[in-house]
Amino acid sequence: MKSLFAGIFTLLFSFNAGSAIGGDAAAGEARYGVNCFICHGQKGKGMASYPKLAGKPVPYIVDKLETYRAGTRIGPNSDLMIMNAEPLTDEEIANLAAYLSSVKSN
Amino acid sequence: MRIKLLALMVSAVAFIATSAHAGHHGAKSAVVPEITQTAVLTGLENPWDVALLDDGTMFYTEKCKGVSVRMPNGDVHALYGMKDSSGYDSMGGDLHCSNQAGMLGLAIDPDFAKNRRIYVASASTMYHGNGCKTNFERCDGNIVMRLEVSDDFKSVANRMDIVKDIQFKPFESNHPFGGNGAHNGNRPTFGPDGALWITTGDRHRGVCPQSPTLMCGKVLRIDTNGNAHPDNNPPKGFDKRVYTYGHRNVQGIAFRSDGAVFTAEHGPWHNDELTMLVNGGNGGWDPQQNVGGRGDCPDEYCGYMPNQKKGVIPAIRAAFMPMSDTRFPDLMPPAWQNNGYSQGTGSIDFLQGKQWGMYEGRAVVGIMGIAFGGTPAGMRLDVYDIKKDGQSIKSVIHLPVEAKRYRGVTMGPDGALYANTDEGEIYKITAK
Repeated sequence: MKSLFAGIFTLLFSFNAGSAIGGDAAAGEARYGVNCFICHGQKGKGMASYPKLAGKPVPYIVDKLETYRAGTRIGPNSDLMIMNAEPLTDEEIANLAAYLSSVKSN
Repeated sequence: MRIKLLALMVSAVAFIATSAHAGHHGAKSAVVPEITQTAVLTGLENPWDVALLDDGTMFYTEKCKGVSVRMPNGDVHALYGMKDSSGYDSMGGDLHCSNQAGMLGLAIDPDFAKNRRIYVASASTMYHGNGCKTNFERCDGNIVMRLEVSDDFKSVANRMDIVKDIQFKPFESNHPFGGNGAHNGNRPTFGPDGALWITTGDRHRGVCPQSPTLMCGKVLRIDTNGNAHPDNNPPKGFDKRVYTYGHRNVQGIAFRSDGAVFTAEHGPWHNDELTMLVNGGNGGWDPQQNVGGRGDCPDEYCGYMPNQKKGVIPAIRAAFMPMSDTRFPDLMPPAWQNNGYSQGTGSIDFLQGKQWGMYEGRAVVGIMGIAFGGTPAGMRLDVYDIKKDGQSIKSVIHLPVEAKRYRGVTMGPDGALYANTDEGEIYKITAK
């Protein structure tokens, strides 16, 4: 019974995290290098008024990117992020999340 | 014979012209220098400004941490920290950071050997009073502090806040980059006149730049006690500390060898600018609503209009909300504008010394640059040959350095250029 709940939880979590499951970190790193690094810095370290992303959990990155992609404002730099997230595919979001979550935060 | 005579005359005229040119401006090198870039410090958190003593002792700020000094032997002493910082010898509990704001620029007193003074600009809660309840109040939240450094460079004392009333944006607003703490300027530097020059920003408030009494959107010229320079010539009714007004966000200021002062100003979604300042002049930035042919704007600030949420052709934006509005009779026209783009001019200095070859005497500017809305990324150092009259440039080249967000550029006493990046490095850039 316990394992059944665990299985359902895993399934739900996987569904919520969506395409992040199985993301390709190497492909995410390449996509990150296209333009994300210009604000968020190399390896997602963050700089100026742009937040650190290195080491953030996969669901966090996926949620933020999907929210921006949907055109929802969630902070002062939303206009920039909405513009940059709109063209992202599910696969690219999964890859970016896989890469950023794998980078050490320090 | 006539041809020979003509050739002789032409040569003579050319010789006279060349001699006159060399005599007036000095011999110009045609050598393109070899550039080397070496990291001096890495792993910093948003280093914002650097200032050096003659022996190479380097003071630097980190936006959310404080001011430190790197000694010539490489030892680093954390001198004066901000609220919630750690590892500093002492701290100011009123000093804070938020988005673009924090501990930003610093300058060393020309008489440091005697008085041990440095000057640091920072966001502070000390003088808010009741003026920060909304974004539409003055909110005095940026200051310039005078600090005295101990003989062993391990501590500071005798803090005196010599400017207490540079405005600060307390809350988020309905704008791109709309977080609190926007547009602070805050690059202090000493001029050849011995005065302290302070740049400020418009803090996302429409009335700031053209206001005679608010210090936001200005360049100030003061003494080291905070008093106005006696030769400042602002318009009637202005605060006497004002040297120029009508600015958006001046993050760079530097003096050419002939004494002319230039600013590097960050444009909105168009037109970064380099401008030669004129005492009492107007930079021409006026983002108030219901002026200049504009109507109401979000939160009474037209700085990103029209259609501020979407990409718009820069020329259309520039016509609607000009950086240098020609309706002002006292406008200081820019020497350079960034081909209609805003890629974020971080700072400016002038390259000094023969080692810089053909770049000697030219302006070097950090272009930080984020890429969006069709604007290419900046992330470079550009070198500008600005004309003597400061009204245009002759040329601009990209210095062969790594692609970084160059927040600060400072000529060192050793003839090298020191450049600090938002990524967390301070580089030494040499030429030979």
